[in-house]
Amino acid sequence: MSNESALETANALLAPFAQGTARPDPLRLDAMLAADQLLPAVKALMDNKWGYLVAISGVDLGLATGQLEVLYHFGGADNGITTSLRVRIPRDNASVPSVCGLVPSASLYERELSEMLGITVVDTPNPTHLFLPDGWPDGLYPLRKDAAVPVATTLNS
Amino acid sequence: MQPETKTEEFIIPIGPQHPALKEPGHFEFGVDGETITSASVRLGYVHRGIEKGAEGRNWAQNLYLVERVCGICSHTHATVYALTVEKLAGIEAPPRAQAIRELVLELERVHSHLLWLGVVGHEGGFDTLFMYSWRDREIVMDLLEALTGNRVNYSTNVLGGVKHDVSPAQADAIRKGIDTLEERTHHYLNVVMVDSSFIGRTKGVGYMTKEQANALGAVGPTARASGVARDLRINAPYAAYPQYPVEMITDTGGDVFARTVVRVKELFECYRVIRQILDTLPAGDLTVKFPRKVKEGEALVRVEAPRGELMYYIKSAGGENPERVKIRTPTLANWGTVLTTVVGHKLADVPMILGGIDPCFSCNDRMITVQPATGAERHWTWEQLRRYGIAQYAGDR
Repeated sequence: MSNESALETANALLAPFAQGTARPDPLRLDAMLAADQLLPAVKALMDNKWGYLVAISGVDLGLATGQLEVLYHFGGADNGITTSLRVRIPRDNASVPSVCGLVPSASLYERELSEMLGITVVDTPNPTHLFLPDGWPDGLYPLRKDAAVPVATTLNS
Repeated sequence: MQPETKTEEFIIPIGPQHPALKEPGHFEFGVDGETITSASVRLGYVHRGIEKGAEGRNWAQNLYLVERVCGICSHTHATVYALTVEKLAGIEAPPRAQAIRELVLELERVHSHLLWLGVVGHEGGFDTLFMYSWRDREIVMDLLEALTGNRVNYSTNVLGGVKHDVSPAQADAIRKGIDTLEERTHHYLNVVMVDSSFIGRTKGVGYMTKEQANALGAVGPTARASGVARDLRINAPYAAYPQYPVEMITDTGGDVFARTVVRVKELFECYRVIRQILDTLPAGDLTVKFPRKVKEGEALVRVEAPRGELMYYIKSAGGENPERVKIRTPTLANWGTVLTTVVGHKLADVPMILGGIDPCFSCNDRMITVQPATGAERHWTWEQLRRYGIAQYAGDR
């Protein structure tokens, strides 16, 4: 599939679920989704063998916005296109549904997302720590903007 | 009458020290006799807080930080970071700089694949292969050192270009080294194709179908050895790959043997494209000016590291530091294939299957600070860490 037709196919597959789509660069398509539309959108991509899950990025949009953003990056099966499903959720009681039922390989990415940003991934098969050590304090999520993780001071002092 | 039997899964923990390569990771394998019935992984033993650390450093400092994500494909990390930040800033490095980036990328792939060939030989009990391939790997290490001044963190990139030029004398030295390595690689391909003990340790081991590779999110040579035609150098060419393309190498074997063949055959493509770059290196500047602040926005770049697809997603709020740097390394993507394909194999095959994906633990572990199990003080200064290290070492003696 050429890049252009892969983009068109992704756009057509995601349009029914998306609040909006964007083309941030020639090889990318972004689809903004409500959290409850995530699973149907992923299912549409997987059912049509559009591509594979490359990564899940979690971003803290800051205390002022009160929101976190989760991006599910999908790579085209045989082309250079990246489609990102973007879901915004409130910082308090942050949660997204697990996509592992549709994409089994998402388990490690969901474990990382959950422990680093404090997002509950509902129904993820293994909710334990992947990277953080045993005995890591509850409620300290290092990639949150307000997390007091003194990595920089440890390295610089 | 049947005797009453009690079935309970017996768990064998492997690691965190030296599960396959000389890097830490912890695995738990459920076994029934010698046969593996389940597998799980626990990582983070070399997690250093790089993604978080990047948020507190400026754009130029981060180039040096991300180069230290991986000690093997350090140049790949620096290049994809530079490409992503340049895309954010709307700046493109000059053609000569892009060609030199690709040249070092391919030299790095040569050293990485030769290193892996030695490791798989060693894990398979074929130490002669390990010693010869690592001896020959020194040729490319010397070339990289002559070109950049360093064996590990080459530090070739700057934002907006590269800092190392290639002189005609260096180009000749590289051609000569590559000629020797190509001859040796033909020999290694012959060895792995015909050596019966190597074939015995790798054929049918860690077998993965194309459908499995797709479902498990496999990347790089691990995926290509299962017939998945996916290589970002070809699917989404970056740096100078549009001008100096490489051929896709795939295999349908799906086992550790096929992963070996794919990596060895990729070496020939590396040699070919390295010669082509040296012969037609574009003239011109090495850098363009790069601003201190990068305008607000976000960029995402995926490249083909020696181990497979590497993704950087970077967000800028318009300041001197990035707002967020997300890195997805190829080893993390490939763990799913190990945990699945290992089931049903003998315990003794574990090192070959682990080694088969060419795991790089430093790559997938990036994030957190040291925590002593004792005492209330969680956050150590450098001086405290140093004193702890000295006391620990004195105690060992």
